[in-house]
Amino acid sequence: MTTSAVSSRAQAQAGPAAADTKRARRRAANLTGWAFFAPFGVFFALFLVWPILFGLYLSFTGTTLTGAGGEFVGFENYAEALADADMWRSMLNTLWFTVLSTIPLVLVALIMALLVDLGLPGQWLWRLSFFMPFLLASTVVSLFWIWLFNPQLGLINEMLKPLGVEPIAWLQDPQWAMHGVVIATVWWTVGFNFLLYLAALQNIPEQQYEAASIDGAGKWRQLFSITIPQLAPTTGLIVILQVLASLKVFDQIYQMTQGGPAGTTRSAVVYIFETGFTGYRFGYSAAISFVFFAIIIIISIVQIRLTARRGPRS
Amino acid sequence: MADFTNLSRRTILLGGAAVFGGAVLGPTLSGCAPAGAGGARPLKFWHLLSGGDGIVMAGLVDAANADNPEFHATQTVLAWGTPYYTKLAMASVGGRAPDVAIMHASRLPGYAPGGLLDPWDLDLLEEFGVTKQDFPPRIWEKGVIDGDLFSVALDAHPFVMMYNTDIAEQAGVLGDNGQLAEITSPEQFLEVATAMQAVTGKHGLSYGYLGDGAQMWRLFYTFYKQLGAEMTLDPGEPAQIDEDAAVTALDFIKQLLDGTIAATNGDYATAVAEFVNGESGLFFTGVWELPTAVNAGIPFDAQPIPNLFGTPAAYADSHAFVLPHQSAPNEAQRREVYRFVASILKGSFDWAGAGHIPAFLPIIESDGYADLVPQAHYASAAEVLNYDPPAWFTGSGSDFQNYFAENVQGVFRGADSAEGVRGFVRRLNVLLAKPNPVA
Repeated sequence: MTTSAVSSRAQAQAGPAAADTKRARRRAANLTGWAFFAPFGVFFALFLVWPILFGLYLSFTGTTLTGAGGEFVGFENYAEALADADMWRSMLNTLWFTVLSTIPLVLVALIMALLVDLGLPGQWLWRLSFFMPFLLASTVVSLFWIWLFNPQLGLINEMLKPLGVEPIAWLQDPQWAMHGVVIATVWWTVGFNFLLYLAALQNIPEQQYEAASIDGAGKWRQLFSITIPQLAPTTGLIVILQVLASLKVFDQIYQMTQGGPAGTTRSAVVYIFETGFTGYRFGYSAAISFVFFAIIIIISIVQIRLTARRGPRS
Repeated sequence: MADFTNLSRRTILLGGAAVFGGAVLGPTLSGCAPAGAGGARPLKFWHLLSGGDGIVMAGLVDAANADNPEFHATQTVLAWGTPYYTKLAMASVGGRAPDVAIMHASRLPGYAPGGLLDPWDLDLLEEFGVTKQDFPPRIWEKGVIDGDLFSVALDAHPFVMMYNTDIAEQAGVLGDNGQLAEITSPEQFLEVATAMQAVTGKHGLSYGYLGDGAQMWRLFYTFYKQLGAEMTLDPGEPAQIDEDAAVTALDFIKQLLDGTIAATNGDYATAVAEFVNGESGLFFTGVWELPTAVNAGIPFDAQPIPNLFGTPAAYADSHAFVLPHQSAPNEAQRREVYRFVASILKGSFDWAGAGHIPAFLPIIESDGYADLVPQAHYASAAEVLNYDPPAWFTGSGSDFQNYFAENVQGVFRGADSAEGVRGFVRRLNVLLAKPNPVA
């Protein structure tokens, strides 16, 4: 590094010919950079940037599946969306799902990680069984839970029977359907958060615990004064990832309840899909997508503000 | 440094060649397979039959391929419902659709006006021996939109009633001919079902609907039409629905789902299991579950759902052949499609084995069909078929049935009928107020 800097300075002093060589080298280096970027760049532009721009354009037209009605309609779609009770309901359902799922997905993951970190025998088995469901495809998870939740033959109701619980129509009762989807989702994805927590736990220096126990701190004191504060950055990461993942929920709902019963589990993405692909209205569907996009941005800003404020204090 | 740049360029070129080579060679290689079948013209055939009837369809296609050296049809089976219809529509919009596909006749109003389908040429059909006279009028007419024939029906598949003959005999509800004695009123139906419940000790009737808008709609629409009511859905106008009839139909269904006559929270699979295990005597189901009942080896028979409210009516739909729109159809290719469809229709006797009522009359009128039991016992349903009210958003596997479920599942589970009907009407009015997106 130093030598090359020195030599390049020497070359610069040597005259215009050397400067040309240097420029050529830099161009070559730039080209290499672009070459590395190109494969990703092409796909990024083709499958992300272009669809977003095209979607934005669509949202100002009345385009339908058949390509009819492609004329420019200005903000008509947005006006309709903002007055569409079903759209607002799907947004609220999404937020409700996010709240219901994020809390257990963080807490349960933390508890599981703490238990495994206690040093139980056969740690690999616990790690494997907690993480395994995450490896399953969403279709497998959905089918699995549809059977478990079956109101007449399902295992869940069968297990609740001895406790005196009346059979619950988990996925068909408007009161329970969202909880059913949340339970399945937590079972499916908690393993990832668990793994993040476990890795973070194993990174906490052992000396801190030794020092604390010399000072007379018990296990609970250590948990609240060392472990949980040390995990704060991981918790922040998990919450951000989880909120984003929960906001775009689609697979489980589409496969388990199709947005029913009575629309209680229709999330924003499900509604966008319905409007565009089964309702044939691409333009309107695109407009709802951008409304949803705006809502996600607002949520993200709030989240960043909250975590940023927490940062300096700790 | 320079070497490395070269290397990466070369690698990229190589990688690119591999990607493009794969893209070019892939289709060519796989394209060889159909062409290998003795110079026969390959036909792409899409359908959504994946249950017992999917196996029968595979047999029909094989038979048609064997009888006709001119073509070789390859079937692509896609998941029933929304996924199938979305893919079919997208393929048609792209103008590179399969040569022929099966659709529910009730979905035509959402597909034909928007140019997603090409009309059938009646002369060419006749050349292959398929004419209007070969179909029951109600079934043929369902394929006609604005004077053009857009679908050629393979079958009609009504919602019917199966019953366990052993249980019916023990309950004393069989007639002299060994079939269920005629039931003509809701009260009488409740009596029969209650008598059967006394025999099974579990339920009298099996009917699954939870989370399944299609099932709810099938039974509701059967009773609604039996009440002589109409439903008209014209874009730009409010939905015309006989709310009194709708409430009557729903109230009766609620009476059935009392936990004794039928399970209050029955889902499709549980209802099937219950009936084939002899835990109920009656079973409201589509004819397509016939193979399930046959395979279970139970003593059973079937008939149209009894006319309880005065007007004989059965909810039904038809699997029908359509020509998905192609931008540049090949005449010779299309000709083989007609030959293929005619061949399947003429060979559709086996289709009755899947429970469906073949639409091609020469099959129904053949000697063998009259001996098919229980198929022959419910064939009369073909005369009282009622398809979904036509609209771009109705039909099997459509959002319409979801909207029905959204508002009515609560009613089935005990909520107020009138409120459910009003919610459904409100939803329909929202849809009808918007312009038809596929016209």
